[in-house]
Amino acid sequence: MKPLVVPGTLESLGLIREHIRAAAAEAGLDKRRAYRLELAVDEIATNIANHGYREAGQTGDIVVHTGTDGDALTITLEDTAPPFDPRRLRRPEQIDLPLTDRPIGGLGIFLALENVDEFRYEFVDGHNRNILVMERSLA
Amino acid sequence: MAFTVTSEMKNGIAQLTLVGELDAAAAGDFRAAIEQSATSQPKRLVLMMNGLSYMASAGLRTLVFARQKMGPSVDIYAIGVQAPVRETLEMTGFQYSVVMLDRYDAAEIEGI
Repeated sequence: MKPLVVPGTLESLGLIREHIRAAAAEAGLDKRRAYRLELAVDEIATNIANHGYREAGQTGDIVVHTGTDGDALTITLEDTAPPFDPRRLRRPEQIDLPLTDRPIGGLGIFLALENVDEFRYEFVDGHNRNILVMERSLA
Repeated sequence: MAFTVTSEMKNGIAQLTLVGELDAAAAGDFRAAIEQSATSQPKRLVLMMNGLSYMASAGLRTLVFARQKMGPSVDIYAIGVQAPVRETLEMTGFQYSVVMLDRYDAAEIEGI
């Protein structure tokens, strides 16, 4: 599939999810795993828009690359916001707290990391690259 | 699919019907509806979620906000939650704070 290039804003999330749904269908992921991948990508893109670009007072694009090989569907999100490795955020302890005691926020990265088979991060030539991998053979 | 939220209030129960895809761009509408409902000081908050096909963490954040805004005495019900959305709620421990029912149960919800 051709890469998708969209502005790094929340208004682009719907387009990104549509793109991921098409890639997941083409790669033969079942519905449940396609949803999990869509959610993970959406959370990373949300983080890029909110914390990467907006809070840094920057604007820029999110580029979504998709690639399939025999075993896996790989989605790469590229942006030019300040370097941020989502893996730095560990599993939040808040999921064990009742809602009355929870901080508001902090679950997006957790959902992104938990819902894919493999997550990698690189910072190359001024670009963040969040790489999300789903095995095609697993159900 | 765009997100819509419609609200009604009757007999002390605030009911919000959520339809479509609830992502970070749409969460503001959900939050506004919660704030609006809270002004009537309902005894229950009922979320009709049969038509909600997608929910990101921004939706979860709004549920935390709802719980804190409404206060601990207001039970929150989520009705007809679709399987993938339910999986997200369970992965993040929300099933302990939100009552999930397959369909609207008047006896349980309205037995105030």
